[in-house]
Parts: sequence; structure tokens; C-alpha cells
Amino acid sequence: MKRQLTITTQPIDEPALIRERKASDAMGAVIYFLGVVRGTEGGKKISAIEYEAFQKMVEHQFHILFDAMEKRWPIESVRLVHRVGVVKVNEPSLWVEVIAPHRGEAFAACQWLIDEMKRVVPIWKKPVTS
Amino acid sequence: MRVSVHFYSYFKEIAGCAEAAEVLADDHTLADLLKAVFQRFPKLAAMEKAMLVAVGVDYQPRNYILKDGDEVSLFPPVQGG
Repeated sequence: MKRQLTITTQPIDEPALIRERKASDAMGAVIYFLGVVRGTEGGKKISAIEYEAFQKMVEHQFHILFDAMEKRWPIESVRLVHRVGVVKVNEPSLWVEVIAPHRGEAFAACQWLIDEMKRVVPIWKKPVTS
Repeated sequence: MRVSVHFYSYFKEIAGCAEAAEVLADDHTLADLLKAVFQRFPKLAAMEKAMLVAVGVDYQPRNYILKDGDEVSLFPPVQGG
């Protein structure tokens, strides 16, 4: 399984990520998910979210999750980009793409990866209200 | 032995620092370290139930036996995405 992990302070360049997509002719499902910063947090209006990461552990934990994905589903490729630092409202903080032979496993794997990320990958967010 | 303790997210504000060092006797566990940390930073003790604990880049249970030079990280539940 091809895997690509990017933790960056730079904005997520979605068109570039889509241009770089590679899928073999055995693949019938390409899905991706974009997580976007909402304008409210805990019922209060915010202008941005500041993401903090324990970088070394983030990379290690993501690779543990990718290993588990590979064992569970016939995934050809997973690419994940997570922003850190200040991300303004309406901007994407997370981009995940999963390529698999069929949509069922692609959706299931993507959902599972995001759920597990929210359980074990050490990234935290702090609302910015200015 | 000497271990370093790193705080992340709002645990840094509660502790008032990003890291600290603790000196423990050999064969002490993470639970022993937490007792020492809570004596030094009492406000962190209230966070214990939800606290995640890693040694290096892996999560470890409270009965993990520490080694000299271990880097222990304490942090609240994660919130990526």
C-alpha cells in the first residue's frame, strides 16, 4: 500500500493533490474527505483554530494506523495531509484520500482512519476568537 | 534514574512549563512517576482520568517500568481533524 503523510503549516493545495493522484487500473474507488474549520466551537463564534502536534509521535501513530488499514482492507493508496498552526474558519485542516478496488472498503477504511486519528494521534486544537 | 516529562496542549498552561525532569529510583513505574509529577504540579492530578501517557512515541500503561533517559509525555485527549 502506498502511503503519504504530510503534516504542514502550509494551506492544503487540493488541486495539486488531485493532480498527483495515481491509481492502477484495478482500482474502482477513489474517495477523499476534507475536514474544514467551522465558525463556531462550543457554541461560540471563532475566527480560527490553532492546531498543536507532537510531531514525532503523530508520524509514528499514523504509520501504525496505516499498517492496520493495510491488513484489514485491500487499499492501494492512502494519502493524508493535516495542517498545524493557525487555520482560519472555512479553510481545510485535514485532507484524506483512500484508493481501493471497491467503494465499500474505501469508505470504510477512510471513516475508520479518521475515527482512529481522533482517538490516538496527538494533535490538539485551540479556538482563536480574535 | 532521570526521566524527562513533557506537557502538551493545555497541560502546559496547567503545569506552567512545557517540560520538567524527575529523578526516580530504579524499577519505578509510570504510576510512580505520575505520583511525583502530581506532587510537584497538583493541578494536573485533577486531569488524571482523561490523561494520555506516552513514553517516546508509544502509549504505555501505568505499570510500564521506566528506564533512565525515558522521555514521558502527558497530554489531554487528542482532537485532530
